[in-house]
Amino acid sequence: MAGSNEVNVNESKRVVPLHTWILISNFKLSYNMLRRPDGTFDRDLAEFLERKAPTTSIPVDGVCSFDVFDRATGLLNRVYWAATENEVQWGIVEPEKPLSTTEIVPVIIFFHGGSFTHSSADTAIYDTFCHRLVNLCKAVVVSVNYRRSPEHRYPCAYDDGWAALKWVQSRPWLKSGRKDSKVHVYLCGDSSGGNIAHHVAVRAAESGVEVLGNILLHPMFGGQLRTESEKRLDGKYFVTVQDRDWYWRAYLPEGEDRDHPACNIFGPRGKCIERLELFPKSLVVVAGLDLSQDWQLAYVEGLRKSKQEVKLLYLEQATIGFYFLPNNDHFYCLMEEIKNFVNSSC
Amino acid sequence: MGTYDKSISSGSSSSSKPPDQIDSLLSGAGYKVRSSELRTVAQSLERLDNVLVNNYLEISHHLSNDAIHYNPSDLFSWVDSLLSEFNQPVPMPDQSTLSDPAYVNTLVVPTLDPTVNAGVWTEHHAAPQHGIQQQLTVVTAMEEDPGIQLVHVLMTCADTIQRGELSLAGTLIEKLQDLLTRVNTGFGMGKVAGYFIEALSRRLFSTLLYTNRSVYESEFLYHNFYEACPYLKFAHFTANQAILEAFDGHDCVHVIDFSFMQGLQWPALIQALALRSGGPPFLRLTGIGPPSSDGHDSLSEVGLRLAELARFMNVRFVFRGVVASRLDDIKPCELQVNPNEAVAINSIMQLHRLLNSNSTHNSSIDFVLAWIRNLNPIIMTVVEQEANHNQPEFFDRFTAALYYYSTLFDSLEACSAQPEKALAEMYIQRELCNVVCCEGSARVERHEPLATWRVRLSGAGFKPLQLGSNAFKQASMLLTLFSAEGYCVEENEGCLTLGWHNRPLIAASAWQAVAEPRPPLEH
Repeated sequence: MAGSNEVNVNESKRVVPLHTWILISNFKLSYNMLRRPDGTFDRDLAEFLERKAPTTSIPVDGVCSFDVFDRATGLLNRVYWAATENEVQWGIVEPEKPLSTTEIVPVIIFFHGGSFTHSSADTAIYDTFCHRLVNLCKAVVVSVNYRRSPEHRYPCAYDDGWAALKWVQSRPWLKSGRKDSKVHVYLCGDSSGGNIAHHVAVRAAESGVEVLGNILLHPMFGGQLRTESEKRLDGKYFVTVQDRDWYWRAYLPEGEDRDHPACNIFGPRGKCIERLELFPKSLVVVAGLDLSQDWQLAYVEGLRKSKQEVKLLYLEQATIGFYFLPNNDHFYCLMEEIKNFVNSSC
Repeated sequence: MGTYDKSISSGSSSSSKPPDQIDSLLSGAGYKVRSSELRTVAQSLERLDNVLVNNYLEISHHLSNDAIHYNPSDLFSWVDSLLSEFNQPVPMPDQSTLSDPAYVNTLVVPTLDPTVNAGVWTEHHAAPQHGIQQQLTVVTAMEEDPGIQLVHVLMTCADTIQRGELSLAGTLIEKLQDLLTRVNTGFGMGKVAGYFIEALSRRLFSTLLYTNRSVYESEFLYHNFYEACPYLKFAHFTANQAILEAFDGHDCVHVIDFSFMQGLQWPALIQALALRSGGPPFLRLTGIGPPSSDGHDSLSEVGLRLAELARFMNVRFVFRGVVASRLDDIKPCELQVNPNEAVAINSIMQLHRLLNSNSTHNSSIDFVLAWIRNLNPIIMTVVEQEANHNQPEFFDRFTAALYYYSTLFDSLEACSAQPEKALAEMYIQRELCNVVCCEGSARVERHEPLATWRVRLSGAGFKPLQLGSNAFKQASMLLTLFSAEGYCVEENEGCLTLGWHNRPLIAASAWQAVAEPRPPLEH
């Protein structure tokens, strides 16, 4: 690890607000306890330590949530939407009626982060984030509980993401629009969730399923090579190259290296997506203090070379997880960008 | 000490708010930290970070395998307890609460398969689910019209009953019975709706609302509920673990069980005490049970069997049965508590029976909590249904019960053992019926949620004892013994809950009397 730990800690303290520093440091501390050197994971302790949020039938900031069982995957996904009068009165949702017959209501499928290993849809920080997205984009958010590593490796997370997309597309009560009533889908994810969003979008494009946009928040990509940003920022802002390696080893098939196409999108084993006309436009957000940024920037470059529409939002002084708490400029900047990105198509 | 970036901080840390406030930003992330303690927590995290960096492997191993974690929401205490593992002093001069995590013997369950790997948490892949998912919003996997209509009309009916429009309610019952013919009542929504329709009919039309059930029958159904699903096992397991830990170092112990019910909970504790390091204590067990109508003394019968087990395990043991219909009929002197013994009070789904409709004047519960407190128990284990079935308005109670019991029945679908499953359903149905049909003193199933119990017990002079990560691990291990996936154990600020598909259904907590001078016991 470059530099002494004291120096590293002082550096992160200088750019990160106190609350964020506490929150992310706490995650770092507990995650360190959960990853075992032999590649196994202490799932019991992880579940014990994880702070979860219940669904809210009584609206919080006008947003209600409920969990839905998806028979195809056997998983519970969480749906967030703006409370309507009908619901509060009877507490019943009519599963046949569309969201709106006069306007377009985007449906954002959200894949939470956690490096493929941690968290779930009901983790408090992600539950809060999804609540915010509903009001911000006047959207419905579906947060997917994909199966996690190391218990479930590649391609489980992608399969679950794809199943969730198909499920969402086939719900009559998620449709909207005046003339052409359909489900208006966006994919959004942070860290591993961003990685999943990319792969699901590729599969959607290959299968003729329309996705209107991808929002990737410091998506988790990597490769065998050690990039300059990894060397420079190793251990400085909560994340180490060593822990990134651990998560890839836990997710990728045993014996594989980080040039596997799941990880290194536009690397030597990457798939060509130039001919995918249905591939959505992308908003890629890169935190300037994230050690993985060179891989994320390479992804953006790769999209451009593949003639796919992409917008890069580079937040120089942001660290990972800057969007969990509304206490910094990057947060507000991001929210504005997401709002414009989702609304521009509608 | 570096200074933190002065970006927009949360409103809660501005100087106008009192420093004792729980910080709102972190609270949204699930952590309860006082504004005044934020910097201390940050410094502690920093310290821990340095310690871990230097001794990563051995410490990580120790922290995850040997250390017991308590209440991770309380960041200040949690980080503090980790620091004290490594003899690192707390940074702030004015704070001195160094918690001391107890190292305990783990509870041995005799039937546990030794090859079960406790470290692996299986992902929840649920059996097909057809029932209602969550409070107030319904999206069923079936999406069948009659099913949705059933719920809709049930709620309408409850509403009309509340408003006193009984003839309209009667018409709705007929409509409900008609709808019922169009759904499959063998499982899922149809089955649950059937029970609720029956309960509502009884409420409207039946003059005999409260039938006297034989004790034998009640115990028989309870036993099947115990076998068919993990809720009671979880309750016993968790309570026993907490009691075992509390009894550490005590040679004379006395467990008072508020509802003996054939003593299902106690063989495991007797065994665990037999195997504890330092040898077993002298164990007294007092079991409270209702009077039997047929003269059959099941309390003593079971007591004898437990005594035999204890003798076999070389545990000095005495059992006493105390007969009482209600807990507030008991005079504490009947329990014959000795001053030199460590007392554990065990209440599995009993305290709610003492509540009434009046939230301000609850003399029965207050009376009982007061004498419990006077016994100065070193631990009181409380397990209650995690539901809000004692709300003042009938409609609210009905709605809460609809969602609670449909979730509960849903979880039972996963059980395949017959006749245990059918009998367990009967057990649940009786409980449900009491919530829906009965009023006044006949309505004993007055469940209240954990949050409400926390307030009530704290107000009665008890403080919470944390159920830690080892109890959580034990409970999780228990679940892996069941083939059904979909059950989940959750940690909730020092308490544990067991639920089905993210809906907690039963909550376990542990308490201790707050120390204060008390008047001598009256004998």
